[in-house]
Amino acid sequence: MSAYVQFKKVRKVYKTGEVQIEALKDVSFEIGKGEFCVIVGASGAGKTTILNILGGMDTLTSGSAILDGEDISAMNKRQLTAYRRYDVGFVFQFYNLVQNLTALENVELAAQICPDPLDAARVLEQVGLADRMRNFPAQLSGGEQQRVAIARALAKNPKLLLCDEPTGALDYNTGKAVLKLLQDTCRSTGMTVVVITHNQAISAMADRIITVKSGTIADVRINTEIKDVSEIEW
Amino acid sequence: MKKALRRSTFREIKSTFGRFIAIFAIIALGVGFFTGVRITTPAMVNMMNGFLQENDLYDLRLVSTLGWEREDVDALKSASINTVVEGSVCLDVLYETSSGNERVMKTHCLPGSINGIQLVEGRMPQTPQECIADSKDGGAKIGTIFRVSSENDKKTAQQLKYDKFTVVGIANSSYYINFERGTTSIGNGGVNAFIYLPEKAFDTDVYTDIFVKLGTDAEIYSDEYDSIIKKAASDWEELAEDQAQARYERLMSSAAQELEDGRNELEKSRIDGQKELDYAKSELDDAKAELDEAKEKLDSSAADIENGRKELEDAKKKLDDSKSQLDQSEKELTDGETQLADGQAQLDQAKADLDKKETELKGQEEAFAAAEAEFQAQYGALLPMADQLPPEQRQAILAGKAQLDSSREQLTDARNQLEAGKAEIAAQQQILEQTKTELEQGRREYEEGLKQYQCGQKEYESSKAEFDKGVKEYEDGLKEYEDGLAEYNSGLEEYENGVAEFNEKIADAEQELAEAEEEIADIKSPDVYVLDRNTNIGYACFESDSQIVEQVARVFPIFFILVAALVCMTTMSRMVEEQRTQIGVLKALGYSNGSIMGKFMIYSGSASLLGCTIGYAVGTFLFPAIIWMTYKLMYIPLHIPYMFDWKLALLSVAASMLCSLGTTWIACRVELRQNSAVLMRPKAPKAGKRVLLERIPFIWNRLRFLHKVSIRNILRYKGRFFMMIVGIGGCTALLLTGFGLKDSIAGFAEMQYGQVQIADASLNCKTTDDGKLPDKLLAALEENSSGYMPLYTGSWDLLYGNKVKSITLMAPEDWTNMEQFMNFRTMEGEKLPSPGMGEALVSHSVADRYGAKVGSEIVLRNEELEELHLRVTGVFENHVYNYIFVSSQTLDDQLDNGTRYNSAYVNFPENSDVSKSAASISKLSDVTGMTLFSDLSQRLGKMMSSLDYIVLLIIVCAAGLAFVVIYNLTNINITERTREIATIKVLGFFRRETSAYVLRENLVLTGAGAIAGLILGIFLHRFVMDQIVVDMVDFRVKILPLSFVLSIVLTFVFNIIVDLFMELKLEKINMAESLKSVD
Repeated sequence: MSAYVQFKKVRKVYKTGEVQIEALKDVSFEIGKGEFCVIVGASGAGKTTILNILGGMDTLTSGSAILDGEDISAMNKRQLTAYRRYDVGFVFQFYNLVQNLTALENVELAAQICPDPLDAARVLEQVGLADRMRNFPAQLSGGEQQRVAIARALAKNPKLLLCDEPTGALDYNTGKAVLKLLQDTCRSTGMTVVVITHNQAISAMADRIITVKSGTIADVRINTEIKDVSEIEW
Repeated sequence: MKKALRRSTFREIKSTFGRFIAIFAIIALGVGFFTGVRITTPAMVNMMNGFLQENDLYDLRLVSTLGWEREDVDALKSASINTVVEGSVCLDVLYETSSGNERVMKTHCLPGSINGIQLVEGRMPQTPQECIADSKDGGAKIGTIFRVSSENDKKTAQQLKYDKFTVVGIANSSYYINFERGTTSIGNGGVNAFIYLPEKAFDTDVYTDIFVKLGTDAEIYSDEYDSIIKKAASDWEELAEDQAQARYERLMSSAAQELEDGRNELEKSRIDGQKELDYAKSELDDAKAELDEAKEKLDSSAADIENGRKELEDAKKKLDDSKSQLDQSEKELTDGETQLADGQAQLDQAKADLDKKETELKGQEEAFAAAEAEFQAQYGALLPMADQLPPEQRQAILAGKAQLDSSREQLTDARNQLEAGKAEIAAQQQILEQTKTELEQGRREYEEGLKQYQCGQKEYESSKAEFDKGVKEYEDGLKEYEDGLAEYNSGLEEYENGVAEFNEKIADAEQELAEAEEEIADIKSPDVYVLDRNTNIGYACFESDSQIVEQVARVFPIFFILVAALVCMTTMSRMVEEQRTQIGVLKALGYSNGSIMGKFMIYSGSASLLGCTIGYAVGTFLFPAIIWMTYKLMYIPLHIPYMFDWKLALLSVAASMLCSLGTTWIACRVELRQNSAVLMRPKAPKAGKRVLLERIPFIWNRLRFLHKVSIRNILRYKGRFFMMIVGIGGCTALLLTGFGLKDSIAGFAEMQYGQVQIADASLNCKTTDDGKLPDKLLAALEENSSGYMPLYTGSWDLLYGNKVKSITLMAPEDWTNMEQFMNFRTMEGEKLPSPGMGEALVSHSVADRYGAKVGSEIVLRNEELEELHLRVTGVFENHVYNYIFVSSQTLDDQLDNGTRYNSAYVNFPENSDVSKSAASISKLSDVTGMTLFSDLSQRLGKMMSSLDYIVLLIIVCAAGLAFVVIYNLTNINITERTREIATIKVLGFFRRETSAYVLRENLVLTGAGAIAGLILGIFLHRFVMDQIVVDMVDFRVKILPLSFVLSIVLTFVFNIIVDLFMELKLEKINMAESLKSVD
């Protein structure tokens, strides 16, 4: 597979006053199209930073990041916004649903800004929330909320699905369900999915595993023994 | 408080400075407005109080219908303790200006120790002909000369010693703190200004008023003052009445005395006079007797003279006859002599001729003889033979002979003649000789006769001389007599005149005495009035004007406090919520509720204390200054000193503390009640709820998605929704009120003179005896104006309830043309028909404030106590002064004197030099005053121009209110939804979309608030207008459509400005926030 996602010698330095923090030192990796990639690392390793850059939420200090041939690092603010709008789907750790909108409306919120969205109701059905569409997030459980979030991300029909600790706020079983959903989506729609986590166990379900340590890529390997989610225990 | 906690508190302030400022700002605004408006009235009152204390304005004014004398002043002085009593003279006097117009000025004597004046320019008078003029009098400068008009009635003119006064100083008077100068019954009824003259300029012993100053320094208008005055007034009424009675008795007794004296004098004069007359009469009689005697004598002399004359005449006649005879003789003699001489001469001549002829004849004879001889010689021989001769010869000879014969005849004749002639001459000569003798005889007789005559003549002459002498004597005597007679006659005439005069004078004097007696009998016991300051126009007006602010002050501050409380509440609630976990931690660590709450208390407390201080300082300084600036034009331009009111300051501190600390306490309590574990858990987000609108799918499904979001958001936090509406509504209401004030007030002069009184000018003038305008004036009007309407104008009192209100009554000569000069329309714009008999049109202010509504019966009364009974048939729009219009027929019907035209409205042709035409009319002596309405309109307009400041002030306050509220709420909104906003940013919302997502709600709320504010504003405006009631002006309570538009537009502008700032804040939200955890 051609490199769908490419990081080339990415360096990220945070400057706060006189303090300089080098979050990413020299990060280079690739992810293929349609892959389910897991980026693991301890807290503070820099994986969130990678996510930020990849998601167009932050700029890099040097190097380049490329998605589907487009150089993200060269984009200005507006271009980045467009990038996020059309090309990326986000799933947050804490769901970040709009409390004031029903599940359906939350998905519509994202769908309505895309040129080629999927039908919001259909996507919700696909994630298994057919009869919870008209509920407000407060009326949904954590897992349901996360599924709505995923539906929201999917409805955008993005090139890339970024998930930041999607199961972080969920219990074991719910977490597994969510992961399964992600895996199924990846397989059925051929979407490139990147999951950031500190949970090593999850990496078993990935096609590619990138290990981050202290701002650098410690390891990149293709998973030869892809396990189904149901088979993973942690 | 522990050090770390304290540090945390102060850092908190620094880091959330926006929030801190929000609290500070709203408190400052609220306190500023509240205290500013609250302190204005006391500050104004304080200012005026200071001025009036300094200048010793009277406390009581004693007026008696008989006036007062120095004695009365002294008596009152001694009857009271700790008071100052002073007499004063005040007259309404008509003066002439240099332009020939007349004006009435209230003429006062310079004050002693009461009712002081404040010199603004120039100096105090040093001579009695100098004066102090009114600083509000545009026509008076240093050096202006005021002449006392000759049109003043005698009584007034007599009380001034001089008729010309020069202005040497200009002053403000504590007696006239406002620009109103009052009304009068002379001139055109209005008083232009006051004037102060030195006491020596007055020629009167009577004071028109006595002023009393009690020893109190209670503040003006205060209850303390009023009760002191009430008590003092009743005491002084007694004193004054007694004193007035004393004066009355004094007056009466001195009057009676004078009358007695007068009578005595009269008697004495009568006796003396009579004596003189009698004496004169006797003298005259004596003279008469003398004269009569003389006359007798003269008459007899006259007779004698007559006789003498006659005799003389006869003698004269005789003499004359003689003379004439003599003359005749003489003449004859002379003639005869002449004749004689002539005859002689003739004779001699004849003689001579004869002699001559003799000679001649002789000659001829000789010649003849010769000739004959010759002939004979020649022809003698021939003669006998004559016949034989040749004819010629014959003839010649015959002829010759004949000739000779004839000659011979001739000669003989001649000789005979001659001899005859000679004989005649001799005869004649004899006659002549005879005649001569006769003549000589005659002459001798004549000579004798002449002698006799001359003797007689002499005698006659001497007799005549004597006679003449006698005549002369007689004539002298006659002349003397006649002179004597003339003298006597004139003496007699004088006497008779004297008698007549005497009688007349006696009669007059008796009449005077009788009249005086009557007058004295008419002097009634005096009426005494003890007046306090409330009858002083300036004092009373200032009270009501300063209270206008107080009235208005009641409403606004409550509103601001409400808003301030809300803002504090939401802000602190938000803050407490944000710090929820922190509170939980502190609790868990073991800090007491008190110290935790203390942190927030300090935060809000310090913000509000700061706000309160600044607000108080600025408000109490700015508001009185600005509000006074607008009133200054109507009053003495005093400087308003800064007034600090402890109570107000403490009140505002208390209020702001209550607001901030109170709300903080409430907000904290709720949180602190929960235990730390709960606190440290993230708060469950407030559940979304369906909105009512959703149940109307017809509308709901048509809304754009993001609009639905906004609607839900708005209705989710009802508290904030409410606060926003209140805040925005208040802002719009304030703006509308501010603009509305300007609309109602600012345009009134234009409305009045552009739509109601559309005449170009009005004038006051004298009236002819038959009640019409003077001819000269009519002529000038015909020439200079394009139309005029004679009017009656008069100052009448409208009786309502048991009160009296002075209004201006007017009646035009002819109602049909009145619409060129004045429009009578109802407040709704309908044209009113002219009033018929007994009907009246009243101006809106009269109907509204004094109960003269349509259909009601009203009674008017003037100074002469004439009454008019009218029925109100229409109320017309009018903004300046209070008018009642009737038809001239009504006046003719109800008044004895009918309609007496004393004024007119005038229109000038377009594009003419109005001031020139006006000047040529106003300089006539018949015109007592002229006003160009355009000038008046401009002046009034200028007065109101300071209103712009007030409106600006209101707009600024409104803006401040709007800013604070919107900023605060939006701030809270954003900080609360930081995660949400970050999320949608991540989702790819562009910048504009992100702003709209959040700020759309603001727009909707602003719209709703603005509409509510417009409605509230209408009421607020009406309320404020009701409070601003000024006597002279009737503002039209209206708000122009433009004001509505402006209010809304400005509200939105404020909103947009805040939104722009908020957008920046939104921009700054880091998307990474979305990744953060919920707590």
